[in-house]
Amino acid sequence: MEYILKNGIVYDPANDIAGEKMDVMFKDGKIVSNVSSDAKVLDVTDKIVMPAGVDPHAHIAGPKLVVGRIYRPEDSRKGVTPKTDVCRSESGFSIPSCPATGYRYSRMGYGTVVEAAVPPLEAKHTHEEIMAIPNIDVPPLPLFGNNWFVMQYAKEDRIDELAAFISSWLKIVKGYGVKLVNPCGSEAWGWGMNVHGIDDPAPYWDVTSKEVIRALSKANEMLGLPHSIHVHANDIGHPGNTPTTIGTIDCVKDITKNSGVRNQTIHMTHLQFHIYNGTSWRDVESGAGDVTDYINKNKHVTFDVGQITLDETTTMTADGPHEYSLHALNGLKWANKDIELETSSGLVPFIYSGKSPVHSLMWAIGLELFLGTEDPWQVCLTTDHPNAGPFIRYPRIISWLMSNERRQEMMDNKEVHPWAHRKSALATMDREYDFNEIATITRAGPAKIYGFKDRGALTPGFNADIAVYDLNPNDIDPSREPTAIEAAFGAAMYTIKDGQILVKDGEIVKVVPSHTIWTNVKGFEEQENAIMEKVMPDFNRFYTVKFENYKVHDHFTPYPIVVDVQASK
Amino acid sequence: MKTITLTLKKKSPISLEFDELIPDKIYNWEKADFENYDVPVGNTRFPLTDYFDIEVEGAAEGPEEVKMILDGDMGRVKYIGCEMSAGEIVVNGDADLHCGAQMKGGKITVNGDAESYAGREMEGGELEIMGSTREFCGCSYIGEWRGMSDGKITIHGNAGKQLGECLSGGEIYVKGNCDILAGIHMTKGFIQIDGDVTRWPGGQMKNGNILINGKLGVLLEGLVFDQIVKDPEIEGKNFSGKYIKYTGDIALNGKGGLYLNAEKNRDLL
Repeated sequence: MEYILKNGIVYDPANDIAGEKMDVMFKDGKIVSNVSSDAKVLDVTDKIVMPAGVDPHAHIAGPKLVVGRIYRPEDSRKGVTPKTDVCRSESGFSIPSCPATGYRYSRMGYGTVVEAAVPPLEAKHTHEEIMAIPNIDVPPLPLFGNNWFVMQYAKEDRIDELAAFISSWLKIVKGYGVKLVNPCGSEAWGWGMNVHGIDDPAPYWDVTSKEVIRALSKANEMLGLPHSIHVHANDIGHPGNTPTTIGTIDCVKDITKNSGVRNQTIHMTHLQFHIYNGTSWRDVESGAGDVTDYINKNKHVTFDVGQITLDETTTMTADGPHEYSLHALNGLKWANKDIELETSSGLVPFIYSGKSPVHSLMWAIGLELFLGTEDPWQVCLTTDHPNAGPFIRYPRIISWLMSNERRQEMMDNKEVHPWAHRKSALATMDREYDFNEIATITRAGPAKIYGFKDRGALTPGFNADIAVYDLNPNDIDPSREPTAIEAAFGAAMYTIKDGQILVKDGEIVKVVPSHTIWTNVKGFEEQENAIMEKVMPDFNRFYTVKFENYKVHDHFTPYPIVVDVQASK
Repeated sequence: MKTITLTLKKKSPISLEFDELIPDKIYNWEKADFENYDVPVGNTRFPLTDYFDIEVEGAAEGPEEVKMILDGDMGRVKYIGCEMSAGEIVVNGDADLHCGAQMKGGKITVNGDAESYAGREMEGGELEIMGSTREFCGCSYIGEWRGMSDGKITIHGNAGKQLGECLSGGEIYVKGNCDILAGIHMTKGFIQIDGDVTRWPGGQMKNGNILINGKLGVLLEGLVFDQIVKDPEIEGKNFSGKYIKYTGDIALNGKGGLYLNAEKNRDLL
């Protein structure tokens, strides 16, 4: 089937197209440069056309989500809708049901969402949930930062074996890239402890976070994986954590990149939680200035923000000790989920409020990061869903980024506490994002960061993943009409996925199964076999499951997109 | 003033849901609107007229001018008056689950028994149950830590387990007996029980007050003896007689008050 999207105003930053009136054509699920006269015409005159959104970091599938849904039925009752002819019924606000997750991303014009923390032991279940999420493609990132084997190889600096371990494990769990969460800290949580800073060793391991980060980065680049290491740094949410964060970014500066697509060797996730200056919550101040200064000078790093949306949400992360400290802070119910040999996660409901000085400051720090980073290709829009807020708030964040007036109004009207401007530089920043920069931080940038060669741009041959928003960029003044911006980005006029129209006028019209995107390293088979022989005795000794029950078999990924990578170039 | 009378003619084996039929939403409805309305039943909807004879008299400018009378056994009608903010509902019969849940104002009278979850998460208004009610009256939603915050519930009969769970304001009066764990997790508010209580009132309470005029079966260890008080004044209300006062729950450093009628609970002295 051929289609032509006629007369739209196209923002395609990857191809340097910034608001040109032109047609976009696609055929059999791919973008093409011309179509025959039989092509079906979709009139989108003067509407915004962008590649479909790419979310670089969200928690949408896996064991944490299930714990969240089980222990927060009061969240599930929010956002309940009856079933329609096309959709199943939806439920949940911060932890939506699987179908609701797919529908809601689709309505915002998103096509790809990275599930950012998969404990390998629970990978099977993660894939089962991905099967239940429709309409978006999901690359899952397995957790490696506290894995016993990884810590052993990192300690002994056996990078070759570590690379072989990663390439085997990506095949075993059908994962896309390497995720680290509080390296060494989640392991320490097994002893009721945490690590502080990148030079603090995990108990009984004698290996530091810095050594683990560097080793994984070297192994990642040795294999030439499409994505760099994806790091949730140590000391999350602690005032005074800025030096740890900058130290984390800086410690991989000398490692050579091995990828033709991406520019970075480290992706820092939900950076907003990691840049608090001061020594306690009383004297805390924004560290965004220090960090953006560093980032503006160093191109080996990209990050996503984790913007606070000021909602009641559910925090969930594979940073077990941090979740316990959150529980100690707000006194709300806490759930812990330990994963043997690999990681530990936790959950706590959290009510971010504009009345709270600290939450308002966090809100301001996130925006400072967006506005202080000069190169939009280094920054991505996320809320670390659901940790800083649910993903359905992305359109609202876009409206904040595009309107200085709205930001100042929130500070003037006391919608946020005065700490927002007293302890950050937000009030002095009058930068406003334009539509092209929005397209960069929500689709083109994340796609490049993940090394995708089939999405995030409207290049002929790429997947026909397209979003059309009911806005005329020549008419609207985003600075003065934040509500219109939020409404339009929240309900796409069209969401097209692989050439199929899934959303029309903000409503789901078609439901398709998700694809799972995973990385298959080739040319490393010998090393992989050797490492498996070495690993198996320890695996059999320490794991409570048999290896036969650990591996993710092919039927867990009925619609795979396998990214083949030739190891060592 | 508008009077809407719904008289039951057929009792559904599956519960009807009435959260859309509250004064706030129907004050300007005519008889025809009710006749065209499909009421949720399980996972589908059926015409309201399948179950009720409908009469509408008078006119209303707002919900406060509405009086709804539900005649018959409403034992299979859930969510009566759920989220209402004004007006009056009289149920001449029993009511099913969630009667008066999340109510913000107005008044509901049940001239019969109410099922569990009556007055769940009430924020205001008045709920009067002439008969008895069952579990979780004036409580929170499952998983929720924020319960009834304001308003008044009066139960002329008996109450079930976990009355006023997570109570953070408002008043609950039980004229009859009460089952276990009244006021569990409460942080504020007042519960008065005139009859006997089986056991454990005030478990995990942080603050607020519970007064029991009947005999208590088993006291929870987390509540510790404070003093004997005569004619106490609690939250601006005066009570006559001698009461044994306990505070707790000490497991949570709670500062709540539990008052037991000294006469009826001599064994604890």
